[in-house]
Amino acid sequence: MNPDNEAIVYVVDDEEAARSAITSLLASVGLKAKTFASPADFTAAKRARGPACLVLDVRLPGVSGLDFQRELQASNDNLPVIFITGHGDIPMSVEAMKAGAVEFLTKPFRGQALLDAIQRALEKAREANAEIERLALLRERYAKLTPREQEVMQLVITGLLNKQIAAQLGTSERTIKIHRGQVVRKMQATSLPDLVRMGDKLGLPSPKY
Amino acid sequence: MRPRKSAALAGYGVAAISVAAAAVVTRSLESHIFPTPLFFAAIVAATRVGGTGPGLAAVALSTVVLSYFFVLPLQALGVSTSPLPYVVQFGGPALVTCWFVKKRKDAEESLARARDELELRVQERTALLEAEIAERMRAEEAVQKMQADLAHVSRVLTMGELTTSIAHEINQPLMAVVVNGDAAMGWMAANPPNLEEARQAVDRTIAEGTRAGEIIRRIREFARKSPPRKAAVSVNPLIEETLGLMQREVARHGVTVHTKLSDDVRPVHGDRVQLQQVLVNLLVNAMEAMGAAAGPRELEITSANDTTGRVVVTVADTGPGLPAGEESRLFDAFFTTKREGLGMGLSISRTIIEGHGGRLWPENRPGGAVFHFNLPAMDGQA
Repeated sequence: MNPDNEAIVYVVDDEEAARSAITSLLASVGLKAKTFASPADFTAAKRARGPACLVLDVRLPGVSGLDFQRELQASNDNLPVIFITGHGDIPMSVEAMKAGAVEFLTKPFRGQALLDAIQRALEKAREANAEIERLALLRERYAKLTPREQEVMQLVITGLLNKQIAAQLGTSERTIKIHRGQVVRKMQATSLPDLVRMGDKLGLPSPKY
Repeated sequence: MRPRKSAALAGYGVAAISVAAAAVVTRSLESHIFPTPLFFAAIVAATRVGGTGPGLAAVALSTVVLSYFFVLPLQALGVSTSPLPYVVQFGGPALVTCWFVKKRKDAEESLARARDELELRVQERTALLEAEIAERMRAEEAVQKMQADLAHVSRVLTMGELTTSIAHEINQPLMAVVVNGDAAMGWMAANPPNLEEARQAVDRTIAEGTRAGEIIRRIREFARKSPPRKAAVSVNPLIEETLGLMQREVARHGVTVHTKLSDDVRPVHGDRVQLQQVLVNLLVNAMEAMGAAAGPRELEITSANDTTGRVVVTVADTGPGLPAGEESRLFDAFFTTKREGLGMGLSISRTIIEGHGGRLWPENRPGGAVFHFNLPAMDGQA
């Protein structure tokens, strides 16, 4: 277990006993937990930056854990969720997993099972965070391109040859070649396919076949 | 009829002896007394002891003896008409006396017989009544036992319906036990080991294990099969404990519970488990009714003393209300509007409440169904 000082595990369970047990378990392996008695308390709280995941009791007063998972997704919150339930019925767990839950644990579960699920969830969160960072970086680089370079990039990734791009933009093939070199350098692309992938991530029009 | 024969003989004996005695005494005291009274006494005695036969014999003997000894011509045995007036004078009253005494004797005897007969009949009737009472008590006991058995079966069925909640209720502390155990291991395995944190985790393990045991005890208490035990029951703690038992079921149905428990509610005399069963039945019904319908899910439980010395408990829900036109069938056994369930709950609840001297009745009010039950309050304060 590698301690991750940045990571934070949110726990939403209406039972104090469950909250203190999970907090202690996480602390014993160096994980930081923040606990809430209800989804409303969790929503009201300020979330820290950095990798995080949510341990959520399925049965909560007021709102069901599954409904709350849907609410999170509807608000574009991709916080990984681990469900815990006192009575794991199969339809419910299937629904939860389909909705993207990392794990569905039936009480009583071993501490290790919860820790493993939390590690997977945090890994997922880290990946998602890294992905967001990569995308932010790409956006930043793309923003630094001149308008003409952006035009050239858009055409390059659709698979057009320099000659065709020059014709379309009404300029010489040589000029296009220079722009293209600038695009590759500024975007830090290693190859044409790499540039195409970047375009894809940025949501630029995909290649026409 | 040997005794009767000897009694008759005794009668004749008494006749002879008493007449002889009368003759001897009268003769020896001839100058001091009237001649006839002792003979009358002899006739009375003979009739009294022996009845008509000895009586008449005594009359005849007395007449002969009197006429022989005391009527002139004295000691004349020859047939003569001269003592005839004396004979008639004595014989007539003697016969009447004999007849009266006999009558009286008969009356006394028939009275005695009637009394004996009456006594016998009273004894017979008493025995019959006693047998009847014993039989009725046995029947009543059998009915009570059957009702208790039925109530138990219904409780077990209710528990079956509540399995999900009960499993959750027990799993909750078990989860805490296991996770705290793992946490304690984690603290001990840490470098350096944190024994204080480990100790706290073990403390929590113990507390949660105890809690699980307490939950199981409550459930077992509810499901136990034992003859009803009546004792003083405090209504409010019973309501609160029942809500505790049903906490998961309440959460599962997304129901909000409001309690309005009057502080001065007096205790009632009853079987705690059976009264709890009534509450569980009413709560389960209310929650299932609300679970089936959209809209608010609110359950209100109130307790209060009424003005007639009774404690009234009311369970009100915000479900679709009672089925129209079916109110009278609500308490029939096997009447149910639910997909699951036997339809025994209300029927058994009413039997239990009536067995406690109370009443259970429904009320359809706009926005839900209401059930009330009342129970006679015990003397003294809660």
